[in-house]
Amino acid sequence: MESSILDSIGVEIIGVMSPVSICMLLVVLIVYSLSSSNPFSAAAAPPIRTAANLVYLETPSDSTSHKFEGALLNALVFVILIAVVTFFLVLLYYYNCTGFLKNYMRFSAFFVLGTMGGSIFLSMIQHFSIPVDSITCFILMFNFTIVGVMSLFSSGIPIFVRQGYMVALGIFVAAWFTKLPEWTTWALLVALALYDLVAVLAPGGPLKILVELAQSRDEELPALVYEARPSVAQNGIVQGRSLDLLVGGASDSRSVEMQTMSSNNVDRNESQNLANSGYTVIQDTNFGNMEGVQRRDERDRSLSVGFLNDRCSSSSSSSEYSTVVGNHDSEIVVDEERSPLVDAQETRNGREQMRDGLENSEVSSRGIKLGLGDFVFYSVLVGRAAMYDLMTVYACYLAIISGLGCTLILLSVWRKALPALPISIALGVIFYFLTRLLMEPYIVGTATNLMMF
Amino acid sequence: MTVAAGIGYALLALGPSLSLFISVISKKPFLILTVLSSTLLWLMSLIVLAGVWRAFLPLKSNTWWPFAILILTSVSFQEGLRILFWKVYKRLEDMLDAFADRLAKPRLFLTDKMLIALAGGLGHGVAHAVFFCISLLTPAFGPATFFVDKCSQLPFFLVSAIIALAFVTIHTFSMVIAFSGYAEGNKVDQYFVPAVHLVAGMVTLVNFASGGLRGWHSSPLFHGNLNLVALWENGYEKIIRNQTVIHSR
Repeated sequence: MESSILDSIGVEIIGVMSPVSICMLLVVLIVYSLSSSNPFSAAAAPPIRTAANLVYLETPSDSTSHKFEGALLNALVFVILIAVVTFFLVLLYYYNCTGFLKNYMRFSAFFVLGTMGGSIFLSMIQHFSIPVDSITCFILMFNFTIVGVMSLFSSGIPIFVRQGYMVALGIFVAAWFTKLPEWTTWALLVALALYDLVAVLAPGGPLKILVELAQSRDEELPALVYEARPSVAQNGIVQGRSLDLLVGGASDSRSVEMQTMSSNNVDRNESQNLANSGYTVIQDTNFGNMEGVQRRDERDRSLSVGFLNDRCSSSSSSSEYSTVVGNHDSEIVVDEERSPLVDAQETRNGREQMRDGLENSEVSSRGIKLGLGDFVFYSVLVGRAAMYDLMTVYACYLAIISGLGCTLILLSVWRKALPALPISIALGVIFYFLTRLLMEPYIVGTATNLMMF
Repeated sequence: MTVAAGIGYALLALGPSLSLFISVISKKPFLILTVLSSTLLWLMSLIVLAGVWRAFLPLKSNTWWPFAILILTSVSFQEGLRILFWKVYKRLEDMLDAFADRLAKPRLFLTDKMLIALAGGLGHGVAHAVFFCISLLTPAFGPATFFVDKCSQLPFFLVSAIIALAFVTIHTFSMVIAFSGYAEGNKVDQYFVPAVHLVAGMVTLVNFASGGLRGWHSSPLFHGNLNLVALWENGYEKIIRNQTVIHSR
């Protein structure tokens, strides 16, 4: 029996959603276990001064309007700080200081894993009274950190390890961000979502410039990015494209979209023909098909072009669309940097193919990339919700995941780098307050009387 | 020790869903997405209902009829939503079939359709358990347990976990039954589902009766099992019929 199409749809979406879910889950667990009985939060009781609350230190006794203004100011300063640092990084990248950037990323990773991760591990050890001596602990931490740093920009490390460290980085930074006072956190999240929108989409936005630069130079972005590359070569074809096709099929502008796809196809075919004559036969057949197809009626044609596209991508086994989403790597203390991220377009794929030739037909399939900053701020939102109640956690989780799903669908429609924060954060914040203000009295009222339906 | 008890309550409510999720759903990414979206839909329905009822809350906990109205409105709203869900699913099915044609793969099998319905129902069920039971469980992890006046034999958390389990079962399998009812125009199945849901909801009103409810807490569980049996007959019959159709070709 042939496998049904249910098996192949949505693989790439789940590939992005599962690490995000794991990250959020662990942050919630950390927040829960450390905040309840608190060696940690007691120590942090005098509010810590960080880059995120330079202007205003929130105290619970302040009036609401005072808190509100202060939180807005904090968020504004923080975003300006991030924007400045990002521009600086883009500038460095523009002048080709890639080596410096990479080493800087390695240093940040070392710093985050070592100090933030270390302090979280320490408080865990204290909290659960794990018997471990300081020397062992130090050696373990050191090894953990070093492997993490090495996995960042080197190709020899299995992608799984790299993905794991990316999630770990996200968790540590997010766990620190949840220590910010409440109002500041909300203002900050909203401000960052807006900033993300502008930075990735507006002409001249720093992340947009960075992504375009990286594409034109055909390089990996020098940034902390989670890459949902399939770790095992998939048995087929369409995996990377199914979402795409599905959306293409659903959209009204089908013929237009297919049109552009087929022209892409031609470009690609050409470049690939140049690259390796091994492909020529297949591609030529495709060409022939396409010409034949063009004579058919409109509907038929769009269908078969879609199909053709598929075969083409199966033969080269690289998904031609890739994605990106704004990325920001952030650290709490002084320098907040965000770097963008992104990824491969058609031209780039073509070239890559040339370079790599036939040998890596399995390896080159690229996945969706998600900036580490998105991991962090999703988790911050959920972690903040966890301080109120479990109900808000579930609501925010669902809202964020569905926002991420919407972003991924938009991505396959527009095929350019998109900011991942705005939709998710907006939904998350809306659902948090709806749940807290509306739903809680309702649910608690019925459930505590054991009424259910 | 109480941590173990808390985990136990959570597993009691969600254990069957968890094993269903791991053994069936998690292998097919599309089904995971279905579960998530149906959970989200249920959450939104709850928010709408809560918004409508916000003005009347909190209800006095010594009269039962406001709760009866609340359950009646909520159940009818959710059953209305199920029809909406069915319409959306219909369009989705057409899209998937068109997509399958394009890839020259077989169209959705009968089992695929039932799996999608199962995933949709599981989403509803999980959302129910999570919001009505798990979110109130947090204190169960603490150093004590809690009894309500009306029932001094069973801890509150245990009762709520058992009822939640019953409703998870009802929600999960109602969706399969309802979808097959809609697909075949079978009136009995179409009315069976809202009826079971409503009756089960109303039966929770017995929790108002004071002085030890003993076996009554678990009556929704009975409905859940009834649902399961109905599903079994229904699905078994369908699959057998389907096979005979295939064989006779």
